[in-house]
Amino acid sequence: MSKLLTGDGRTHIESRLMRESLQNRSVVRDADSASDFRILPDTVLVGIGGQSIFDRGKSALVPLADELRALRGKHKLVVGVGGGTRVRHTVSVALDLGLPVGGIAQLVGAMEELNSVLLNALLAKDGFIGMPRDHFWELPLYLDAGMIPIVISIPPYHMWEPPPSQGNVPAHGSDFGLFQLAEVLAMKQVVFVKDEDGLYNKDPKQHKDAVLIPEITLDELRANPPETSILDRMLFDAWDHARNIERVDIVNGLVPGRLTAALAGERVGTTITRPRAAKESADV
Amino acid sequence: MSERQIIANPLGASPLTDAEGEAIEYRPIAVMPDVKVIKIGGQSILDRGREAVFPILDEIVAARADGVPMLLCAGGGTRARHIYSIASDLEMPTGVLAALGGYVPKQNARMLHMLLARHGGINIDTDDFEKLPLYIQMGCLPIMTGMPPFGYWEKRGPDGRIPPNRTDAGVFLSAEFLGSPRAIFIKDEDGLYTDDPKKNPDATHIARIGARALIERELPDVVVERACLEYLLRARSVRELQIVNGLRPGQVRAALAGEDVGTIIYRDDPL
Repeated sequence: MSKLLTGDGRTHIESRLMRESLQNRSVVRDADSASDFRILPDTVLVGIGGQSIFDRGKSALVPLADELRALRGKHKLVVGVGGGTRVRHTVSVALDLGLPVGGIAQLVGAMEELNSVLLNALLAKDGFIGMPRDHFWELPLYLDAGMIPIVISIPPYHMWEPPPSQGNVPAHGSDFGLFQLAEVLAMKQVVFVKDEDGLYNKDPKQHKDAVLIPEITLDELRANPPETSILDRMLFDAWDHARNIERVDIVNGLVPGRLTAALAGERVGTTITRPRAAKESADV
Repeated sequence: MSERQIIANPLGASPLTDAEGEAIEYRPIAVMPDVKVIKIGGQSILDRGREAVFPILDEIVAARADGVPMLLCAGGGTRARHIYSIASDLEMPTGVLAALGGYVPKQNARMLHMLLARHGGINIDTDDFEKLPLYIQMGCLPIMTGMPPFGYWEKRGPDGRIPPNRTDAGVFLSAEFLGSPRAIFIKDEDGLYTDDPKKNPDATHIARIGARALIERELPDVVVERACLEYLLRARSVRELQIVNGLRPGQVRAALAGEDVGTIIYRDDPL
């Protein structure tokens, strides 16, 4: 039975954080530990680009759907999708209307859900199933049944999206949302499927002399970020404080076999790593 | 291979991964700027029970009867600390703590609802937030959790696994969305002190301070979540945070009348 303590006018339940201010840095640090409990460590997350894949329609989607179908049973896979050009259109209208950043964040999720429904329809007979956010703890049920859940990528910040440090567009986008889902569950690997071979030193769509970066550490990437980021900047900021994810791959979904190879551990695009041990010793 | 089918728009094929949108002139609108967003502290007020809570609610009900539109948000308190403590021992990640931390303020919002129902108190969920105009126009007193809905998607902060965005941040962000210029926090101290006044008798009161100045002081402890201070510096609508002592009769009423009681933390120059 927990002890109740009174005497300062408040009733406390005895605990290590009792009576403490959670704004106090030393209290917060005391509640920390070197690592997190790993909730679903043998699971991998695949994020499929909106503009890069879905907006190309059938010619990009059907071969990728074939590849995803063949991966069933080989990996405990969770799939997320981006929203693409409809998100840009939404944001541009919303900005012109002067809607607050939380309002824009509330709007964009619907556009990626359309892609989720399409993917679900393409792969329903192969055991893919859309997973509403409320069904979070049913993930093991889907995975153990051999099904592949299609999760919502955009994080549920909605109208509570914090003011961004620059500009007026929500900083917590789909890439960040998928990363964070993988991080909280301590998944093994995160693979983003795009329409480029990986991360380049500058935007390869604009610069013919852009150079592919096959391998890079998170620290190197943050110290020397490319002009145009292929993934949400917030993903890298969050990863810097994160505990669990050690590897994020970016692969070209227009080239059959790349995703399969990346999931087999091969480095076939850009592999961004953050060694866990190194990060922990740096924290001390 | 087909090309990307792009809808023509001023952002074009922007990756949206970075600060963007400068191509579009942004003239922000205010959603419901007159609604006062008020947090009732968990540990500071609700855990004290009837003696602290009833007089505060009397002042709130009186202000509502005078026509002050408001949204009440509940804090967590000692039960939230208890679950954070146990979850920390189990080495749960930040997102799990944030999800767990969401339950207690919801309970507290329900308690406030039962107390305020006869005065038009109505318990709303974050999903009901868009119905706020209805509740306000009906003269109701909407009550909501202070916790933002980030849950499992809450990211770890620089200091450790305790979620950086808790009920203060949620209240701030509610005010920011609504376009309210000031967010009001009812606590059990007169506002901000140079240290925790419950532990350090030499701590002195600060009546007015800029958010940047406050961050730069690097105080070991502050009365509101640090995330609020950072957000205040970047906010479009919220200009000030007000912290008032709910245990002093008349302070809540004065704050709801727009008086500068307690501590005002204002937006000074960006960092």
